[in-house]
Amino acid sequence: MDFGPTTQSSKADLTNAFERVLDSGKFVLGPEVKKFEQDFADFCGTKYAAGLANGTCSLHVVFKALGIEEGDEVITAPNSFIATAAAIAQVRAKPVFVDTNLDFNINPEAIEAAITPRTKAIVPVHLTGRVAKMDQILKIAKKHNLIVIEDSAQSVGAEFNGKRAGSFGDAASFSFHPLKNLHAFGDAGIITSNRLEVVEKLNILKNHGLIDRSTCSQWGLNCRLDEMQAAFLGVQLPQLEAWTEERRKIAKFYNETLGKVVIVPTEENNEKHVYQTYVIRSDRRDELKEYLNSKGVEALVHYPVPIHLQPAAKNLNYKNGDFPVVEKLSKEILSLPLYPGMPFEFQEIVTSLILDFHCRK
Amino acid sequence: MDFKVPYNYLPQQFSEHQLFFDLWKPVLSSGEFTLGPFVENYEKKFAEYMGSKYCIATNNGTDALILALKALGIQKGDEVITPCNSFYATTGAIVAVGATPVFTDVDERYQIDINDLKSLINTKTKMILPVHWAGASPDMFKIQEIAKENDLFVLEDACMAIGGKIKGKRPGTFSEIGAFSMHPLKSLNVAGDGGMVVTDDDDLYKWMKKYRNHGMSDRNTIEFWGVNMRIQPLQAVIANYFLDYVDNFIKKRNNNAKYLDSLLSDLNGFVKVPERPEGFLETFSLYMLLVSDRDSLIQYLIDNGVEAKIHYPLPLHLQPASTNMGLNTRALKKAEQQADELITIPIHQYLNSSHMEIVSELIHKFYEGKK
Repeated sequence: MDFGPTTQSSKADLTNAFERVLDSGKFVLGPEVKKFEQDFADFCGTKYAAGLANGTCSLHVVFKALGIEEGDEVITAPNSFIATAAAIAQVRAKPVFVDTNLDFNINPEAIEAAITPRTKAIVPVHLTGRVAKMDQILKIAKKHNLIVIEDSAQSVGAEFNGKRAGSFGDAASFSFHPLKNLHAFGDAGIITSNRLEVVEKLNILKNHGLIDRSTCSQWGLNCRLDEMQAAFLGVQLPQLEAWTEERRKIAKFYNETLGKVVIVPTEENNEKHVYQTYVIRSDRRDELKEYLNSKGVEALVHYPVPIHLQPAAKNLNYKNGDFPVVEKLSKEILSLPLYPGMPFEFQEIVTSLILDFHCRK
Repeated sequence: MDFKVPYNYLPQQFSEHQLFFDLWKPVLSSGEFTLGPFVENYEKKFAEYMGSKYCIATNNGTDALILALKALGIQKGDEVITPCNSFYATTGAIVAVGATPVFTDVDERYQIDINDLKSLINTKTKMILPVHWAGASPDMFKIQEIAKENDLFVLEDACMAIGGKIKGKRPGTFSEIGAFSMHPLKSLNVAGDGGMVVTDDDDLYKWMKKYRNHGMSDRNTIEFWGVNMRIQPLQAVIANYFLDYVDNFIKKRNNNAKYLDSLLSDLNGFVKVPERPEGFLETFSLYMLLVSDRDSLIQYLIDNGVEAKIHYPLPLHLQPASTNMGLNTRALKKAEQQADELITIPIHQYLNSSHMEIVSELIHKFYEGKK
């Protein structure tokens, strides 16, 4: 059976998983979810993991499990995907945005400045595949007694000081959206944590609040990871490190080739960047994007309008100029195609077009 | 244990692996794994099947209910009247949007008690959320009448009622919005979670489509805070396939149900078959009877290879989730009595008259000597 162009996993292994689940007739919260949860926790270096339907509802449910609610403030970065702030709004808490550094990740000093008596949690986003400055963030959290939930949707396998994304905070949320480094064939997500009581609570919440078939301990939701997707993720996970190495190799080639004409991403010695997106910066971004698109290269902007300037955030009363770094970055960033198995000649097309663009003018 | 009359038929239903893989092939090769053409095709087909203008497919039936409640503006401070004998998700959805569930008692057919419903309407009431419980239906004409008189929204929980009919009209199409589930053991099912809403209202449709997908009006514009409750395209193509068979499934379930009804008709005093009024086509998502000495009967059936169940032993208003929240805990006598007497017998489309005869013989044997 052919599983299509989005995966490099073994067809036989995927077929086997597919047949195993169909034969079991167990499609909801069965052994595949359980096994993948343990495998993924082991991968991240946490004690527990809990599968969820996607990386948005995972944030929503973990916020609920951690008791974040109306009246609470949650500090996060405004340059993430919308889901981070939306999940905060969904539990009726208030998203409080702070600026980032030029590495796209939340600025720890800005966090400290934004803390008020109502602050309940910090949600650093490990954007583009790079872990935020977790040593400083955890120190601030400890000092002010705040919960830390890592939004690791873009950073599965990324490392900081020898630890993997998802293993730093009270809990961490991951997405296995089809365009993520570790991906399902549809939506899927997971929460990692070392706190048993949090994982137990969110496992109840994600399944209608049921503690057994007949007893509902609190009114809950349905945001379960699919058994079939869990089986596929279980096949894909052992490949992830090899895929990450491929990404890093392509990134290295881009860095070396493009570093003279645009600003390329960096990596410190204590970091391992997994390049979920490979983002360059250019002061002629729009022109460059149009040029690449016109030559058939799918360069994208993640994201052109920061969350604090979105119509959805109107009630939070932010304005242009509130977060100078994020706003500057939003005008300069451009994501280049980069994926495991990307043929070298494709990589060269991308780099030579960008070099051409800069030579011509 | 292996049951002679099993409740779960999924290994049988999904035994032809190649068939399902062929359904998945175009999705896998296109890489369209979030919304996209496969989901749209299915939505169009389901809307047509229902006779509705629009369908929006969601990740599950709970999400479908939440989506509808949000779309109709139900929020904190609002009361929503709903029966106390549904699956947990109905109330879960009401609480998820911040509103207060107000439980009614039920009638002899296990459906929302319409007189009780009327008595509960007050100035805070915003919506009636009737459930087509077990795949049977309450009197939706009457409920609509009450809603109109009192200026209330109606949201139908038709999660168990895909394929049913009330006087020629589909459950879920009597109201502003109908919500459905395609959980593996529903009349129309997928190999995981899935659900949808239907509506005829253009504005509700547009809003719900955005809310389902992060509140996005385009890739770069987030109009309002939304969520991710998208159906999986791999599930949408399975639903699309089974939708062609659902009427046939319902027919087989009805044949089994009516046959078992007749086989048990001489057990008056021990077994009470609910009334099956003219004009109601039930889906028999659950075939339920009221029986005496219920717990012993269940054990006896299970010991003899019939996978009988209870839906559910504790009504919603008595669940810890309700008492913890301080919800109204007035006695709902009929529902409480039914919870002690209800039994669910498998009568699904992979069973036939000989299975019904096995069940009937066992039940007769159980009550023998007790007459």
